Amino acid sequence: MVQHGGDEVAAVVIDIGSSTLRAGYAGDDTPKAIIPTYYGYRSQPPDADVAMGGTTGDHSSLKSTSKIAKMFVGQDGPSIYREGMEVGNPLKEGLIEDFNPITPLIRHALEDVMRINPTDHPILVTEPAWNTPANRERMAEIIFDEFNAPAFYIANTSVLNAFAAGKGSALVIDIGHSEASVTPVIDGFVLRKGLVHSSLPALVHQRAKHILTQANQNRRGINLLPHQLIANKAPVDPGVDPRFNVREDRLQGITKSWRNWAENREVDEWMHSIGSVLDQGWNEQAVAARGARQYEFPTGYNYYFGAERFEVGELFFMHPQHLQATNPNLPKPLPQLISASVTSCDPDIRQVLLSNVVLSGGGSLFSGLADRLNSELNRIFNHAKIHAPGNPAERRYGSWLGGSILASLGTFHQLWISKEEWQEHGRPIVGQRCK
Amino acid sequence: MASAADIRSVLSVPDPTPGSSQQPQKKPTATSKRPQGISRELYELIGDSVPSVVPQHSKARLKLKPNLGSGPPRSRWEWREFKNGARTDKLRLNHWVKAGTDPDAVYRFEHYNVVSNPYKYTDEEYAQLLEDPEWSREETDYLFKMIEDYDSRFLIVHDRYEFPGGVPRLLEDLKDRYYSICRKLVRSRPWNGDEVSRAKVLGLLSFEKERELTRKQYLRSLESRTPEQIAEEEALYLELKRLEQTERQFKKDRDDLLRTLLGVESGLSDIQLGDDSSLHGLSSMPEIKKSKKKTGSTMEIDSPSVATPSSSIMQAQKRIQTVKSAAYDAQHCITRTDVPQITATKSSHQAATLRSYKLPTPKQAMATKVAQTLLEYGVNSSRLVMPTRENLLHLESLIDATTLLLEAKKNVDRVEQDIRLMKAKVLRRDEQLGGGEGGEAPMDVDQEAVADDDDAGIQPGRGARKKNARRSMSVSSVDAAAQPGRSNKRQKQG
Repeated sequence: MVQHGGDEVAAVVIDIGSSTLRAGYAGDDTPKAIIPTYYGYRSQPPDADVAMGGTTGDHSSLKSTSKIAKMFVGQDGPSIYREGMEVGNPLKEGLIEDFNPITPLIRHALEDVMRINPTDHPILVTEPAWNTPANRERMAEIIFDEFNAPAFYIANTSVLNAFAAGKGSALVIDIGHSEASVTPVIDGFVLRKGLVHSSLPALVHQRAKHILTQANQNRRGINLLPHQLIANKAPVDPGVDPRFNVREDRLQGITKSWRNWAENREVDEWMHSIGSVLDQGWNEQAVAARGARQYEFPTGYNYYFGAERFEVGELFFMHPQHLQATNPNLPKPLPQLISASVTSCDPDIRQVLLSNVVLSGGGSLFSGLADRLNSELNRIFNHAKIHAPGNPAERRYGSWLGGSILASLGTFHQLWISKEEWQEHGRPIVGQRCK
Repeated sequence: MASAADIRSVLSVPDPTPGSSQQPQKKPTATSKRPQGISRELYELIGDSVPSVVPQHSKARLKLKPNLGSGPPRSRWEWREFKNGARTDKLRLNHWVKAGTDPDAVYRFEHYNVVSNPYKYTDEEYAQLLEDPEWSREETDYLFKMIEDYDSRFLIVHDRYEFPGGVPRLLEDLKDRYYSICRKLVRSRPWNGDEVSRAKVLGLLSFEKERELTRKQYLRSLESRTPEQIAEEEALYLELKRLEQTERQFKKDRDDLLRTLLGVESGLSDIQLGDDSSLHGLSSMPEIKKSKKKTGSTMEIDSPSVATPSSSIMQAQKRIQTVKSAAYDAQHCITRTDVPQITATKSSHQAATLRSYKLPTPKQAMATKVAQTLLEYGVNSSRLVMPTRENLLHLESLIDATTLLLEAKKNVDRVEQDIRLMKAKVLRRDEQLGGGEGGEAPMDVDQEAVADDDDAGIQPGRGARKKNARRSMSVSSVDAAAQPGRSNKRQKQG
C-alpha cells in the first residue's frame, strides 16, 4: 500500500525570492501562483481616479504606519503604468528587510491568485541560509497572527534545493536575482561555516546596464525606455538611431523608482535573451566564432551584439582588471566562492559535496553558465559532478519544489509548529523546531 | 497518499492494464470468428488480418459510450482529521482517507519517528568518572544536548557548536569527549549481556583522536598539492617503476650470461621488489597468452611466468612433477630429461639446445662415403624434417649401420683382392703346371650381382625411412655373408 512516503495535508508552500514570490500546494510540481516581489505604491492618496482591473491586487496596507497609501501587487502591479507610482522591493540581499509589503504580497498570492482561505492550510515558508533569527520569528508571527494558519514551518532554501534534486547532502549553488550563494548541505542540514554568498548577480546586472547605456566606438549609448512610455515606433536598420514617439502625457507622471525598475527589466531581458558565457574562459577567437546576435529594444533600436554579450557572463567567473582596481569590494566570483566554501568544510566530506553539486536559481539559467561552471570546477578540483536540471522550471523554482516535496511527506507532519505551540512557547519555538 | 489505482477507484474507472478486466477474454472469440461478408476461402487466405473496411450488412452502430458505470464499485474517500502520535500537541491536520477505515488507527508514518537513545550520565557518575580539566560540566551537558538534538551527526554538531564562553573545539575534540564518556559509562555500569557483546559495544565506541587528526592532516596535504607537485609525484612514480624494471632485466641478463658462459647458477639472491605485482602481472600477461595460444590445450600456464627461481627449488619441483604426471606425460608425448644435479664444470654443462642440433654425424673420414651411400638409397641425412627423439634414434642407427657396412665392404674388397691375387698366382702356377678347370666360378658371381642390382633399381628407396632402414640392414647382412662378386660390383658403380 505504502509505495511512497507522501501524505498530503493540503499544505501551502510560499517561497519568497528577490524577483518573484512563489506559492502553491505541496505535492505539485510547479507553483500555482508566481507573482513579482516588486510592488507598486503611492505615497499619498491619488487625486485622479485610477481604473483598476479585476485581477489587480490592490491592498490598502492598513497596519503600516508608513507613508504608503495604496499598494499594487501581482502581475498587474508594477508593470502597469500608473501616475506617480513608486516601485519597491521588500528584499535586500536575499533577506526580507521591510516586512510591511510581505503581508499584502502573500495575501494576494493566496487569496487572489490561488483563491484559498489561509486558515485551512498549514504554511511552509522558505528562508535563505543566512536569515536572521529575528526575521524568521517575524515571519512566523505574520503567518500565525495575520493569516491565522493552523501550522507553520520555515525551511532553508539551500536544503530545499538539495531535496528538489533528490539529494540529502549536496553543495548547493543558488544564483538568484540579486544574490548568489554556495551552501554545503549535509543530511538536510546547512553547514553554516561553509556558507558563502555575494551579490554577484546584482553586479552582473549593473555591468550589463553600464555596457548598454554607455556609448562605444561602434554605437551610441542605448535608450532603455520601456514600452509603457512609447506611443509608436517605426522599423529601422540595425545600429541606426531609432524612430519612435514618446507618450508625453505619461512622461510627466513617472517616478524615478519606477523608471529604474522598468529599465532594469529591459536589461534583464537583454541579458537573459542573448547574454552568454563561453565554456572555456575568455577567448577572442571563440567569441568571434560564436557570432553576434541581434536584439531589439522597445524603442525599435536594434543591434548585433558580439563580444558584449559574452563580456557580461564572464563577470560571473572573473572580474576584469580595471574593475578590480577601481573597486576593491567587488563581490567574489563563483569559483572563489565555491573554493572558499569547500575548503572551510571537513576534508572527509569534501568529496561527498563535490560529487553532488546542485545548480539552482533563475540566474543559473544564464546561457552557458552550467557548462562553464563545470569546466571551472574541474579546473579547481579533481572530481566534481554538477547536477543541473534541464527543465527551467526546476531551476527557477527549485527551492519551492523542495518545499513542495518536504511538506507533502507523511513523516514531515510532526515537525509543523502548530498554532497551539506558537501561543504556548512564543518565538523561541521557531529556532528550536526549525534547525 | 492517493495512487493512480486510488484515483481510478474514486472515479470508478476500470483498470486499463490487461489481465484485470474481461476484455482479453472477449477478444480472441471476436477475432477467431469469421466476420460477415467475407467468403470462407478469402478468410483462409488472409487470416486474421481483416481489411479495415468490412462490408457491413448489419445495422449501423453508434460510437460507444464511455463505460463509466460498469467498472468496479466506486470507492468513497473523505477529508478527515487525523492524529499524529509523533506530535506532542493537539494539532489535527486533515488528509484524504478511504471511507470506512478505522478513524482511530495509528498514523502510518508514526513509526518512522525513531528516537535515538544517546548515553546519559547521572551527577554521581560525572563526579566519579567523567571529570576532565579541559571540559566543564556545563559544556559537557551542552555537548550531550547537541548530540541528542542532531542525532549524533557530529559534522552538524560541530558546525552549530557555540558554547558561550567556551574555547573553540575541533570536531575531534567533540568526538573524543563524547566517546570517552560513553566508554567509561559502558565499563562502569552493570552489563546485561555477555562480555563479548560488551567488548563489541566498546569497540564501536572507540575513537583515537590523535590518529584521526593525523589522518585529516594527510588528507589536507593531499588536497593542497599544486598541479606541479602532482605531476612531479607521478613522474617520480613512473621513474621508480622504470628503475625496478631495468633492475629486473639486468638480473635476468646476468643470470643468463652466467649460465651460458660458466655453467653455474648465479647463486645471487633474487631481486625482491615489494609490490611489483602490477608490473609483474603486466609483463607476464602476454607470455601467458602466447603460451595458451601455442598449446591450445589445458596445459598449466604458470610455467612461462615463473621467472628463474633458484635451481634447487626448481629441480625439486620438477622431480615432483615427473612423479606426479608420468601418465600425463605419456599421454601428451612429453619427455623429461634428467638435468644433472651438479653442474659445476664447464664440460659437464649442457645448455638448452634444439634437438635438431643433436643430429648424429658419421666419423669425419667416412662422412662423404656414408652420405653417398645414403643418397644412393634416397635418404637425405643432413636434413630431418621432424627431429623427434625416435627419429633421431632411427637416424643414428641408420648411420651406424651404414658405417659398419662401408667398413665391412672395405674389408671384403681387400680380402677379395687378396683372393684374386692368390687365384691369379695359383692359375699361373696351374698353367705352368698344365691344368684348365678353375675359371667358371667368378663368372657366376658376376651375373648374380647384376640381377641384384636391377632389383635395387626397380625399388627406389624414396619412401618411408623404415623401408630404407630395412633395406640397408638387409644389404649389410648380405654383405656380412660376404659374397665377393656383389660388393665388387657396387663399388664399381659408386
